Amino acid sequence: MRNVKFFGSIPATRSKFGSHYGEKIFELEGELYREWTPWRSKLSAMLMKNYKVEFLGNEKILYLGAASGTTVSHLADIVDEGFIYAVEYSAKPFKKLLELAKNRQNIIPIFGDASKPWEYSGIVEKVDLLYQDISQRNQVEILKMNSDFFLKKKGRILMMVKAKSVDSTLESSEVFSKVLEELYKKFFILSTDTLEPYHKDHIFVYGVKD
Amino acid sequence: MSYNLWFGNFNGDVEPSNNLKRSFKSAKNNSPIPFNISELGMKVLGGDYYNLLRKTAIEVAEERVEKELKSDDKYVIALVKALEELEEAINTLKEKKEDLEVVRETEVIGEFIEGISSLEKLKSKVEKEIEAVMERIAPNLVEIASPKIGAKLIERFGSLENLAKAPASKIQIIGAERSLYKALARLRKGKEAKMPKHGIIFMHGFVRNLPKSKRGKMARFLAAKISIASKIDFFRGELEEGLYESLKNRYEELRRT
Ligand SMILES: C[S@@+](CC[C@H](N)C(=O)[O-])C[C@H]1O[C@@H](n2cnc3c(N)ncnc32)[C@H](O)[C@@H]1O
Repeated sequence: MRNVKFFGSIPATRSKFGSHYGEKIFELEGELYREWTPWRSKLSAMLMKNYKVEFLGNEKILYLGAASGTTVSHLADIVDEGFIYAVEYSAKPFKKLLELAKNRQNIIPIFGDASKPWEYSGIVEKVDLLYQDISQRNQVEILKMNSDFFLKKKGRILMMVKAKSVDSTLESSEVFSKVLEELYKKFFILSTDTLEPYHKDHIFVYGVKD
Repeated sequence: MSYNLWFGNFNGDVEPSNNLKRSFKSAKNNSPIPFNISELGMKVLGGDYYNLLRKTAIEVAEERVEKELKSDDKYVIALVKALEELEEAINTLKEKKEDLEVVRETEVIGEFIEGISSLEKLKSKVEKEIEAVMERIAPNLVEIASPKIGAKLIERFGSLENLAKAPASKIQIIGAERSLYKALARLRKGKEAKMPKHGIIFMHGFVRNLPKSKRGKMARFLAAKISIASKIDFFRGELEEGLYESLKNRYEELRRT
């Protein structure tokens, strides 16, 4: 992945910025890298499991469920010539995300509810990647709505699903196949797998808008 | 078609905003915008587009976040109080309706039924709102205690901060003050008394579903977890995976043995 190097078995992103959440900084050939552990970030867990998500570096990304910006900070290193619209509705983590957005040039923080894309429809442009990590019962529906509003044709989706959040009464595998069934209708799925052992009871789904 | 964009209105032509913060806040549209707003925006704002967007986004978000942080607890507390009043009113009205039914067949009863059902609708709206707010301000508490119990705890302690700073022993019995005072009074008189083992948290399924002899143990464990959960929520506000699992394990363990 662009701007990513492995230090031992752990990935890190090349960065002009300091540590955001206490992650270690490595130096290699005069450049600084921020450690990106799979335990803290689901995207890093995907890398650890050898799944490829490619970036050119100038992508526009809509990120739903940015929390305090752990993963967003690394994505911002990766798409250092692009922009990330980062949506989060919980005030405390958002404050930390704001600090990140102030330091960087390529993060646009939106304190809003991802289930109401119309509320930020005149702010977010058409994007190349829709990233979602929100642990909500109706997260597929939320993804689809945001895709309708903002995702370019042939744009990609990357969705993190926690079984228990979607339906706590079903077996995880049942939840996951239901989610996939829904997604197949609108997206071509490139890859999907669990995030074990880094994130229990989670899968990722990586796809393209048909 | 007319569109509200963060840098102005589009109506075939762009009418640029003279107050970016205001137009940013009202950049809402019922349906997707059929063109890419950054391309249009760059024609209007030039190379400064992203700079201005970012600056405006940060300013607007900063204001909103501070405002919400100040009022979130108070909002939950007001909702819990409203919910408790509603529950009481519904119960009272149901009783009165039954009283009426015994005495006479009257049209008034129909009106009572309607009134009660509209209050019940309101009640479920308030419950949903409590869930939504709690998920945002206290995700760990929600996971460990449920939105309802979590919200009641915040209400009893007066704020999330007070809850986060309270000892677990207090969390365990809050809501059982009356039985606590009674027990203490008996002790003072030299009589035997049973100390209450749980207050609000008795509503929790993991406590209630256990046989009486094990509820005290479960309540103590649960209170300790609630204490941790509310601390994380107060200081950081992000969900910590794995907290719930240890609670569930403890429950399974008590259930088996
Ligand atoms: C699992 S965390 C995200 C972690 C983050 N993606 C990372 O890797 O750094 C999920 C986040 O989604 C947020 N969230 C859930 N529902 C949301 C919604 N409807 N709108 C905005 N944010 C939401 C939660 O407040 C929480 O911060």
